[in-house]
Amino acid sequence: MRLQLKGRGQKPLLALTSAALALPAIAATQPVQTELSVRASRYEEDSVSKRQVLSGSDQRYEIDVQQFYLLMPVARDWSVAVGLAREHMSGASPWGTVKGIDGDSALIMTGATIHESRTEVSTTVTRYLKNSSLGIGITHSEEDDYEADAVTIKGDWDFNDRLTTIALDFSYSSDTLRPSAALTFGRVPRAEKQTRSFGFALTQVLDKFSVFQAGLSFTESEGFLSDPYKLRDVRPETRHAWSVNSRYRKYFVPLAGTLHVDYRYYTDNFGIQSHTLVSRWHQDLTEILQLVPSVRYYRQKKADFYLPTDDFALPLNVHQSSDHRLSTFGAVTFGIKGILKIDDWTVTASFERYLSAEKYGSTSADQEHPGLVSFNVASIGFDLRI
Amino acid sequence: MKLVALFVLLVVAGCQSVPSWERGVLARSDMQLEGSPTEALLNSQLYDSKEASAGGLSAAGAGCGCN
Amino acid sequence: MPDVLHTRHTFTAMGCPCLVEIESATPLLGEAVARRCEVEARRFESKYSRYLPDSITTRIIEGAGSHAVSIDNETSALLDFADVCFQESNGLFDLTSGALRHVWYRGRDSMPTGRCIEQALERVGWQHVERTVGEIYLPIPGMELDFGGLVKEYAADALVNLARDAGISHGLINLGGDISVIGPPTGEPAWSIGISNPESGGPPIAFIPLCEGAITTSGTYERFIVIAGNRISHLINPKTGYPPTSLLGVSVVASTAIVAGSLSSIALLMNEQDALQFLADSGALYLASTSGGEVHGDYRDLAGSTSH
Repeated sequence: MRLQLKGRGQKPLLALTSAALALPAIAATQPVQTELSVRASRYEEDSVSKRQVLSGSDQRYEIDVQQFYLLMPVARDWSVAVGLAREHMSGASPWGTVKGIDGDSALIMTGATIHESRTEVSTTVTRYLKNSSLGIGITHSEEDDYEADAVTIKGDWDFNDRLTTIALDFSYSSDTLRPSAALTFGRVPRAEKQTRSFGFALTQVLDKFSVFQAGLSFTESEGFLSDPYKLRDVRPETRHAWSVNSRYRKYFVPLAGTLHVDYRYYTDNFGIQSHTLVSRWHQDLTEILQLVPSVRYYRQKKADFYLPTDDFALPLNVHQSSDHRLSTFGAVTFGIKGILKIDDWTVTASFERYLSAEKYGSTSADQEHPGLVSFNVASIGFDLRI
Repeated sequence: MKLVALFVLLVVAGCQSVPSWERGVLARSDMQLEGSPTEALLNSQLYDSKEASAGGLSAAGAGCGCN
Repeated sequence: MPDVLHTRHTFTAMGCPCLVEIESATPLLGEAVARRCEVEARRFESKYSRYLPDSITTRIIEGAGSHAVSIDNETSALLDFADVCFQESNGLFDLTSGALRHVWYRGRDSMPTGRCIEQALERVGWQHVERTVGEIYLPIPGMELDFGGLVKEYAADALVNLARDAGISHGLINLGGDISVIGPPTGEPAWSIGISNPESGGPPIAFIPLCEGAITTSGTYERFIVIAGNRISHLINPKTGYPPTSLLGVSVVASTAIVAGSLSSIALLMNEQDALQFLADSGALYLASTSGGEVHGDYRDLAGSTSH
């Protein structure tokens, strides 16, 4: 009896190996474990120098954030993720920027300490197919004067024996602002904005120790894009932004560590251009403990209509903003993180120091905006996988 | 888009095959592109509210009024 | 670099000796992972053993000729894999060949009659099995199903992946000869896997280096049966109903133990010449010993030095 084993032109090894990849314990695209994360973070801004505050409080923002996240596999090829975040903010924020006594810009801070809280709820349902997944998510975010609803659709396709993945995503968000004390201060009582964003990313396994991702995203916002709380802030009603992203991960066997390098270039029709470079090093200290130092460098060029001080002489329909976030500046973040893995648990503790200044920017600005912040973020997280 | 397509081809062509049993390192948690979901969300909201650029490197979330 | 600690954990599961050997930076982690491996191995045993009254295998067999039995995703995936094995082996790899075991059993004092074998063959045949999403039905009363040829191998792969997920980057899982490894041992190029002498089960005839993937070894020497003085393979050809005059032993190296194990099982269901041809064409690395004392395959040079 002569066996006709090669009738389909494929070697048994290949046929069986690809069949084995469908077994849950060998290779699973969909999560097979339930993942639960809780994280508490505290964000503290340095206070603004008293000299630069003309009026109001010199105490800046503090934010406490509590997050909860649960990912559960459901049935054979579905997963459901639920996220909950609650933030409590307190402090004062810049109200306007005027020329100070010494000729430099000075801030008018909001008078009393503001207390605000924000709650965000999100849920994502994902369907996993043999070489692809499709997810739909909705997010609702609410605070006293702001409400946002977003829907996100995300698709992933892998091919080339799972070494290449293409991801596409689309999201739409509709936001409503209802500034507090609008009548008293002549603020806009109600305003809306819509944001649509499209993203494309290609992930490629380069070899058994490295992965690279390149992506492109486009975001279009329409509606009220100004800051209702500033004394004079008039921005265009549409914003088109492009960003090009790349991410790289490489594991170094002799060092027992992994290098992360992320880069983003961003440009929009406000005239802003920015570069972001993030680098992290994950060092295995023992089998259960990792230490992760990181550094992030950011720099941006100001918006075309940015003014260092508010110009009340300009007509109301002329774009202007003294928002420090639209100025030319740069920022450096130094971070350190410890990751401890014990059985099903992962405990993460991190600390970051963010310093922003005009001098970190590339081109010299007219003057440094006194509102540029420096802050610390400390965070502790617990992740459970069962 | 043509550029993107060309890029895709170049990247795919320049890579070696990695058999499934050699993907242990790639499965490490520190080899993932996205860190923990809570950390990614926190970072994106933090930086997006301090800088003029948003999106791209971080997971998309709903807009927030943290001005 | 942190010091390397070795954890060796042995236990008995699925009717065979099991070994978990892993390297870790702390004894705490090594022991925790080894314990979880044992728990996982026992989970497979209690889920698929045909000797346990609550196992999924027992429930499927109880439904033979009467009702369909609902099964979970993992079982369904294993059946899908078994189906590919059935196709690839042209019907030799058949989970339903259990009825033949009742004909060719250990301790039988005479060879079974042709009529007896024909009756048993009526209750054998993967092609008869009816499957719908989440259910399986054995349509013939007395029909059997046995995951024995897959579960031990699958468990070895599962344990390796479990250890790898826990952060282990050097380790070896040995479930009764089905070996799956994570990387080479620290400071060495590969694990050295000894292949027993297929005639005696005695000292190894070869040492096969393995730094990733899996190796499975099976042979008639370890699980043969003797009927009326004839040494007979425990694996029965489900198409003819008779045991083949198979290779004495075969070891296969592949990416996963389940792939290696199914290839070696298929080879042992064939007569020697067909088996050697099948292995040579399979695309896998192997070492095969014939009843005439010859050694074939990719590793025969390694065996040459010790077999003479």
